[in-house]
Amino acid sequence: MSKQDQHTGVSRRDFIKLGAGAAFAAVGGGMSGLSFGAGQTTLACSFRSLTNPYYTAFNKGAQNFAKSVGLPYVPLTTEGSSEKGIADIRALLQKTGGNLVLNVDPNDSADARVIVEACSKAGAYVTTIWNKPKDLHPWDFNPNYVAHMSFDGVAYGESTATELFKAMGGKGGVVAIGGIFSNVPAIERKAGLMAALKKFPDIQLLDFQVADWDSQKAFPIMQAWMTRFNSKIKGVWAANDDMALGAIEALRAEGLAGQLPVSGMDGTQPGLAAIKAGELVTTVDWDPYWLGGIGLSMGLQAQQKKLQVASLPKDQRESFCKATLVNKSNVQTVMARATAPNADWNNLYARVAGPVVYR
Amino acid sequence: MSKLTAAPTRQAVSTTTTGLGFTSMHSLLQRFAPLLVLLALGLCIGAFNHDFFDPMNLARIAVSAAIPLTIALGGTFVIQLGSIDLSAEGIVAVSAITVSMLVENSYNDNHHGLWVLAVAIAAGTALGFANGMLHVFLRIPSFIATLAVGFVATGIGTAWLSGNTIRVSDTALRSIAITRYVGLPLSVWIGLLALAIAWFVHRHTLLGRHALAVGGGEDLARLNGVRVRRVRIAIFALAGAFYGVAGILAVAQYGQGHALIADGQLFVAITAIVVGGTSLAGGNGSPLNTLIGTLIVVVLGNGMVLLGVPPYVQQGIQGVLIIVAVTLALNRSHRRIVK
Repeated sequence: MSKQDQHTGVSRRDFIKLGAGAAFAAVGGGMSGLSFGAGQTTLACSFRSLTNPYYTAFNKGAQNFAKSVGLPYVPLTTEGSSEKGIADIRALLQKTGGNLVLNVDPNDSADARVIVEACSKAGAYVTTIWNKPKDLHPWDFNPNYVAHMSFDGVAYGESTATELFKAMGGKGGVVAIGGIFSNVPAIERKAGLMAALKKFPDIQLLDFQVADWDSQKAFPIMQAWMTRFNSKIKGVWAANDDMALGAIEALRAEGLAGQLPVSGMDGTQPGLAAIKAGELVTTVDWDPYWLGGIGLSMGLQAQQKKLQVASLPKDQRESFCKATLVNKSNVQTVMARATAPNADWNNLYARVAGPVVYR
Repeated sequence: MSKLTAAPTRQAVSTTTTGLGFTSMHSLLQRFAPLLVLLALGLCIGAFNHDFFDPMNLARIAVSAAIPLTIALGGTFVIQLGSIDLSAEGIVAVSAITVSMLVENSYNDNHHGLWVLAVAIAAGTALGFANGMLHVFLRIPSFIATLAVGFVATGIGTAWLSGNTIRVSDTALRSIAITRYVGLPLSVWIGLLALAIAWFVHRHTLLGRHALAVGGGEDLARLNGVRVRRVRIAIFALAGAFYGVAGILAVAQYGQGHALIADGQLFVAITAIVVGGTSLAGGNGSPLNTLIGTLIVVVLGNGMVLLGVPPYVQQGIQGVLIIVAVTLALNRSHRRIVK
């Protein structure tokens, strides 16, 4: 590089100084903003990221609960990194001296054990959502590990498939789009689809492809299916709404949207809108808003000794929760709930469907 | 306009007819290797499933290729410089969100006309310009500068929508992906227009020629009076404009805008550029190479579903094909160091 280049512009050293100064000011400002008052319990949630509508709603529920009890709330995001997720939680445990109620959606099943052990040691109260190792149970860490909540992916995969097959008139060819191969929910939902196929002998599974939960990947797959199977396709099952919408857009490009039944899962806003428009047959709403708040509510009640977790039945410690199967008949209600969410944070076990089943 | 009229010999697809001497046969084969790979791939798939050649299927392939092609065209210029642009996903997302915010949507009451497309392209250009400025004036390697700008762009998208998704109901915008002219949706024609513009810039403007010169030998180019820094900044801004167009196409195609709308597209674009025969070291390649490369990637995806290849081996096959295509397309015999 010529000398001329080095003289122009901001020098690197100046830039670093400037950046360090700005960062210092920002951190200082942030620290004074977050007051961890002595004796006041901190509420926190740890989840993947805020770029995703599911976790945005999850975070909103937690915020709302924190507001209702007047306690400070801290959202932590893992951004898909187990290390970051665990390190952030450790830092918060340190900062609060263990006076913490945590609701965590672990980045990976294995993380749950580390997080639970750290919380138990520090005297904090923790609930886990979706992921945990099979041999880790809340009753092994009384009273700090309050509860684990999850949903039965197999049962709901079967429900959406059944709803789809009914819309197809119980016969014809179906194509199916799954999530990332190694993901537990992807495996469970596919198992549900397979179970439903057994109950409808006249429905034939033409092909199963994976689109990594992504509408952009589902789009060309649906296109290629239209070439390969053409009019043999009578329905499309997808393991989540985003992929279902990718398939619908591929159908729309050929003027077929709304003419073939398509099913999704997860109850996203665009998914619900597609049900209303008659392009999507069914989806499942997990109600992340409720999950975000109720986990904290359980933890806080346990911490305040309003709840004697050790004496609770096992299915209230480790539960499959009830979700809402959405179709055209109830989509209005679900959409209304999503736009103006509210929940009864004191009715802790209203949605327990049963104990977690390990398959 | 251009004083540099001679075609550089390192270009992978020749644009001028060369004599068919024995030595040039070999280099000719190398030049057309990506095209041959594409044809062989098409014939193989077509032999097993005749529906591949169905005009409807070819139209579907064209639709699938429009967005990756537009992104890859922008990336081609940067790679010709010998740099790399990792900000594509973020910039496409910002452009897509800009468009979806300004047309009829589920989020606000905006209902501006299609002139907002210019705003989206401007947003892409501005971010691309930021890439170039950071890279040139702070002297940060393009790899890191663009990676960081990409994160910033995704961050802007996330914060703007607080993680939500906007649904676009504007029929005029959606018609880009739906209304068909001569059997192909408007999005494909826009992709082809982008290709034509890229070709023109590459072939007939000083900027395009200088990009190749800088990539081929920056010191020589500088000694010859090429304003290297200016070229670099302009090329990054140009790439941003292409990502802006891709953002518009993505909104038209998926009917929504969100921060992750281009997730995974960066890898597809870079694969397409390299498979098309453009070297990551810079100084060669052309938009036509990128067209061929994009088609190879898209045809492969289409073909694997048509042939019923089980999903868990698809990725492996994709990897093998990339190696084959790159081996055929790039001449490494004169390169002493490969990095």
